[in-house]
Formats: sequence, structure tokens, C-alpha cells
Amino acid sequence: MQRYIFRRLVTAVPTIFGITILIFVAMRILPGDPLAVVANEGQGQYRLTDEELAAARASLGLDRPLPQQYLIWMADVARGDLGHSFWNTEPIRDTVVRRGAVSLEIALAAVALSWLIGVPAGILSATHHNALSDYVVRLFMTLFLAVPSFWIGLTTVLFLVLAFTWRPPLVITDLWQDPLKNLQMVVGPAAALGLGLAAGLARMTRSTILEALFDDYVRTARSKGLRENAVVGRHVMRNALLPVVTTSGAAMGALIGGAVATETAFGVPGLGSYLVQALNARDWIVIQNLVLIYGTIAVLINMLVDLSYAWIDPRIRYS
Amino acid sequence: MASAEPNPKRGGTLRIAFGVTTSNYDLQQGASNSVLTHLYSNLVRLNPVDGLKTIVPDVAESFVVAPDGLAYTFTLRSGVQFHDGTPLTADDVVATYNRMIFPPQGIVSLLKDRYAAVAKVEAVDPRTVKFTMNEPSAIFLLLLTDTTQGIYSKKTLDANNNDLRKVLVAPGTGPFMFKEYKDGEKWTLVRNPNYWNRDLPYLDALELIHVPAWSDRGTAVLTSQADVSWNVSKETWDEGTRRTDAMRTNRVTTFGAYQVIINAHQKPFDDPRVRRAVHLALNRQGLIEAFKTQEQIDLSRWVPHGGQFATPRDTIATLPGYRADKTQDIADARKLLAEAGYASGMSAIELLSASVPPHAEIMAPGVQDQLKNALGMEVNIRVAERSLLVEDEKAGRFTLVLDTPGGPISDFSPLANTYFKTGGSQNYGGYSNAQFDALLKQSDRELDPNKRRALLDQMQDLLDQDPPWLFIGFTDHLLMWNARVRGLALDKRAQSEWGRVEIAWLDA
Repeated sequence: MQRYIFRRLVTAVPTIFGITILIFVAMRILPGDPLAVVANEGQGQYRLTDEELAAARASLGLDRPLPQQYLIWMADVARGDLGHSFWNTEPIRDTVVRRGAVSLEIALAAVALSWLIGVPAGILSATHHNALSDYVVRLFMTLFLAVPSFWIGLTTVLFLVLAFTWRPPLVITDLWQDPLKNLQMVVGPAAALGLGLAAGLARMTRSTILEALFDDYVRTARSKGLRENAVVGRHVMRNALLPVVTTSGAAMGALIGGAVATETAFGVPGLGSYLVQALNARDWIVIQNLVLIYGTIAVLINMLVDLSYAWIDPRIRYS
Repeated sequence: MASAEPNPKRGGTLRIAFGVTTSNYDLQQGASNSVLTHLYSNLVRLNPVDGLKTIVPDVAESFVVAPDGLAYTFTLRSGVQFHDGTPLTADDVVATYNRMIFPPQGIVSLLKDRYAAVAKVEAVDPRTVKFTMNEPSAIFLLLLTDTTQGIYSKKTLDANNNDLRKVLVAPGTGPFMFKEYKDGEKWTLVRNPNYWNRDLPYLDALELIHVPAWSDRGTAVLTSQADVSWNVSKETWDEGTRRTDAMRTNRVTTFGAYQVIINAHQKPFDDPRVRRAVHLALNRQGLIEAFKTQEQIDLSRWVPHGGQFATPRDTIATLPGYRADKTQDIADARKLLAEAGYASGMSAIELLSASVPPHAEIMAPGVQDQLKNALGMEVNIRVAERSLLVEDEKAGRFTLVLDTPGGPISDFSPLANTYFKTGGSQNYGGYSNAQFDALLKQSDRELDPNKRRALLDQMQDLLDQDPPWLFIGFTDHLLMWNARVRGLALDKRAQSEWGRVEIAWLDA
């Protein structure tokens, strides 16, 4: 197992290296200069002349050869320093840690919620195939798959404001500072995202369990006289969980940085909105670092998902 | 300077919700002045007590304008200190303005064109600063009121080679001092105990909360997560106007406008008759109505609608091109097109629009539809990301482009000099009208308000006849605040300023 993990880590290096090259080149060959316009909200905009633009680029080191810029970035990353955005003095690393924490909380809570709701709902639906409970679960599955989570977010916030003159907080409060306030920020987006994810998981669980229920090993288990709960819990579930874990792993990676619309709907200043802010400003330095982080997270989560297969399904062994 | 309401109370934290990110930290190199203004003082400022209607001394105790308008002499208050304890002297003012007006090598001064009339800035003595002018300027004092015009210390400028873009945060002499900034979240500023006005500020602290979406700003104020927002969404503002027990609202003018910039070098718009025709045919009321879910546009003319020289709205509503009844305007427009040789309409006219949804999905299609229906003009919309749009504009690679240019003050002069004057720094459409240029020059030098009004009226008439752009209208901001915010006279404001709040206080 250790050798497998080591091998996976080694093979992850070129993947991440490829990501850095791709994003670095992409940001620089895309047409349009992020420094061309100086704009702040409520104050209009100022367009730099070519001379001013050249001076601004030089002051940021953007006039250096691309390989040199790339090597400087990689050297920073190797030191654990993600550098600074074009102008802001706060290190990108600090911003990522602060805003990433709330996004991670939301992602974890959403995935946990999706398991708490989705897996039991899928089991119920599969084991009561074509019964009333199956129809009800399928109705809700369709509903939450069809309704986007950001719309749930917008509607929820609007309802809270109009009915209770209350809305979720707009400023991050760390969990250890004020757990209740932190929960107020996290619970809304986690629920909106978790419900959509739960619907997907329920559908996945239902179909894999339905398939497994008619397999030979299940028939054997039943013929041994095992109770239905034990058949489903011990035999069917282990087999059926693999695609569920895969789906959750992929969702986890996507949610940490990709829940942009839902974060925006709830006004959460998480990692997703940081990326949007950077994209709007075409802040290459922030964008390339965030993509590197997302890429690394995706690689690590994929590895963890693969490793979890061996724990869930005894037939799978890594050597 | 004191609270606009009696019996102010001290203490508390005022929370203001708006977009508080900044491209850098240098007020005069494009930083967010809405944020940094609280840390600095100007020489003079717009008076918040009377709703920003007059100019009052700020860190200058008084000022004298020479009778011929060729010199402005400011006397500084005594005992003013920067936040690091350095005393303010005339040298600091000179260093600040010299950097803006006569920038040293490598410094991007976004503001130097505004001060083209200034010949020299000098310290007469430690408390006296003199600006010598090349020619009289009708707007010089007004330019000094802009919230970008905070005074830096010479010591800070020298120590940083005149570049403060990465200096978080250079000491100022303003009512609040920097405490903390969390990028994309909030700024925390605390009361300056050594502020030159010993009675101010009444507040202990300011929190500037980053809320990029207008609707979120509105809900933040409605739910008391913020006390003020400078501009909220229409639906939340409407909700605020209904909640008269706890909320206060005001609609204020801005100096930014929606316009379709015309390339006067390209056919068919090189013909003034065609430009006049589209000016006449545009149904501004229709566009204003269509756009009101996004931004509030006012029926306005070339001179910014918040300024003292603006044409009254009722008058504008009767003018050709601006009036609601388009029957005569469209008939006149078609006649002009026929005279110009385009009686059967035009095809393949390109309208460039930024990719942001309100522009690309509402305003640009609205203009396209109106020109098609009124004049048979076939307009194709090309959508581009903002920086690409700017590059195309600068290179003149456009026929029509929807944009939102604006000026720093309520006067027409900066707009006209930048965008309409022959050779103006952002006159990307290449508009040129010798008569307009002459009137502009005369107006910029005219110190008598009545004579200047007459000149500006002439200029507006001329632009209506020979339009450089397809003017849609200046925008308004929807200001909303909690009723417990007192003393700031926000209800008296006619124009927008996302500025200082040291006279504000919080009622229990």
C-alpha cells in the first residue's frame, strides 16, 4: 500500500506541473491586458496610455521573459509562498487560508449532508422499488437535481430578508471565534449545495443497489438465512458504495473552489468568490495560484478516493 | 465642520457596505478613493453638512483666489499631524501636487491632465501653498474637492520613491486611521485621536464591508448588517423606502453615463447628419425603463445632471431627441438619413459591447432594436471582454461601442476635454468640431458662473446638432441607510460622493 501511495504521489507531480504550465501560458496568451484599465467601483475608470501601461508592466516584472516569470513563480511556490496579487500587499497564501477555510467548511458540510440524506434515501428507494416511498424519493431527487443550488440560495436569502429581516452574515467569522455566527454563514450554502448533491447520490445509490440486489452473491447471502437488513448493510452496500464515494470525492473537489454561484447567492466571501474577483480583475497571479491549488486538491482527492476503494471493497488490493 | 444634526452622540462603529477591493493603495494612482478617503484630508472639500452643495476648507484653513484667477493661495491649519506624528507643512502639499501634476519618471499620474492649467505649485512658507496658473480655471477648486486629492506627507513620498501603490497604508491626516484590511472582506479603521478637528470624528471606528452585489448591499442594510450603502439594488431600495420606521433612502446623481461612442472616422458616421439622425431617433425613455432593473439612468443631457450648469430635466424632456414622443424626431431623422444618401437604411453596422450581462443582454440589444425599428439600421452586436473592448477602442477598431465613461466632478469640463475635444486623451472616436473646441476653451477660463452657463448651453446645443456620441444618460445611485445613522445629511445630497463620514454619529 505504501508503495502504491508513493507511486501515486510521484505520478501526481507531472500532472501538477502540466497544470502550472497550462495556466501560466493560458493567462499570458489570452488577448487583453489586465492593466489596461484602472477602475474602482463608483469612480469610473481610467485607461492607461501605452507609455503608462509599459511603466505599470515593468513595475510588476511583467516585462521579463516568460520563462523567467514562470521560474520565479515556481521558486515562490517551492518556498510555500504564493506571492501577491498585482498590487495587494496581503499574501495570496493568507487570503487562501482565510477564505478557503469557509469554503472547505461548506464543502464538507454539503458532502456530509448529501450522505446523510442521499444514501438512506437511495437505499429506501431501491429496497422499496416501485412503492410509494420510492416514488416520493424519486420526485424529490428530480426536483433537487433540476433546481440549481444558487436559485435555492437566492430564494432563501430573499425569504429570510422579507419575512424575518435577517440574512446570513457577509463577513467571515472563524469557527473558533464564534461558532454560532460561523454556522449561520455556512449552513445556508451547505444546505443548498448538499440537497442537490444528495439528489444525485440518492439516484446513484438507488441504481447501484437495485443492480446489486439481483446479483448472485446477494442471493447466496439470502439463502444463508441472513436478514434483509444484514444483506443490504453488509453485502449490497459495500459494493454499491464505490460509485457513491467516487461521486462524493469529485463533488468535494469541485465544491471547495467551484461553488461560485452559491457562494455569490449567499454573499459568502469564500474561495469561489475570490476566484471570481481575480477573474474580473484578470489578476493572473491570483488565478494561476488558485488553479494550482484546485489542481492539487483534485489530484489528492482522487488518490484518497482510490485508496478508499480498498477499505470499502475487500476484493480490491493495491500492491 | 460638525454634525448636521444637533446633540451628536459619541462612540460606536459605522458599517458601510460596498465594493471595497482596491487595485492598489495609492490614491492618485487608481486606488479605491471610496475606501482610502477616510484616512486623508484634502485642501478643500464639498460640504457634507449642506448635502455637498458648497466648497469648504478642509486641511486648508482658508484660501484666496487672485482677482485675475491666476493664483490660488491656501493657508494650512496649524497643529495638523499625520497619523505617524509628522506635522503637516506646505512642503507636503507641494510634494503631493507636484507628483500629480508634474509626475517624475516612472510614475503613472492618472490626474495630471486635469491640472493642465497649473504652472507651478510652491510653498510660500510652512503654512502657505501657492498654485500659479497658466490661465484662469473655472473648475480648479472643484477639482481639489475630489476624494482622490488626499494629502500625503513628503517624507512618505520620498521614502517610497513617489510610488505608494504597494504601501499599506501611507499615513494621512484624516479622521480615521488604518487598523486592518482583509482582502475582499473588510477594512477596519479607527478614530484618529489627533485629528485636527478635535470634536471629530464622533464614531470610534469604521468598518468598510466588501459586498460586491447591489442586492446584497441592500439586504445588508435592511437586516442591519450594515448601516449605510452608497448604492443598492432597485428592489432593495424600494423595500427600504417602504420601511420608513428604520430605513432612509435617497436617489443621487453621478458623473458616469451610458453612451454609445461613435467612430467619426468610419462610414456612415463620418457624416454629421447620420450622427444627428441616430441622436434624434434614440428613445431614451425606453432604454431607461428597460434598464431600471440594473441601473438607474436619468433623462439627462451632455452636462452632468448633478452639476449647477445642468439643463433642468423638464426642459430636457421637451428637446428634440430627448422627448418621449418620437414621431417628429424619427421623421426628421429619416429625412437626414435620406439627405445623407441612406434613405433605404443601412446594414452591417457593428455595435461593440462589453461582455457583462447588463450591457450585452439589455442595453446593446435595446439600442440595436431601436435603430432597426426607427431607421431601418441593421446593427450587429459584437461582445468583447472589457480589456479587449478597451484595446479596440484605443486602436479605433470600432464603429459603435457601448461604454460608460465618466468624470471626477459634477462639471462638464473634464468630460469634454477628455472625450470630445479634438485630440482629447480618450477621444477614441476622433470627434472634432472647431467651434466646440473654441467654446470649451472659453468656458474653461470663464470665472463668471452666468457667462459660463451661457457658454455651456451653447456647447450642449452644438453637441445636439453635431453629436460626437449617441448619448443615453447619466446614472443615479440609490443610497440607503439605517435611520440610526445621523449627522451626515445624506437626505440633503443631490449628487453621489462615496466620501468621508466624520460628522456621522449613531443614535441608540
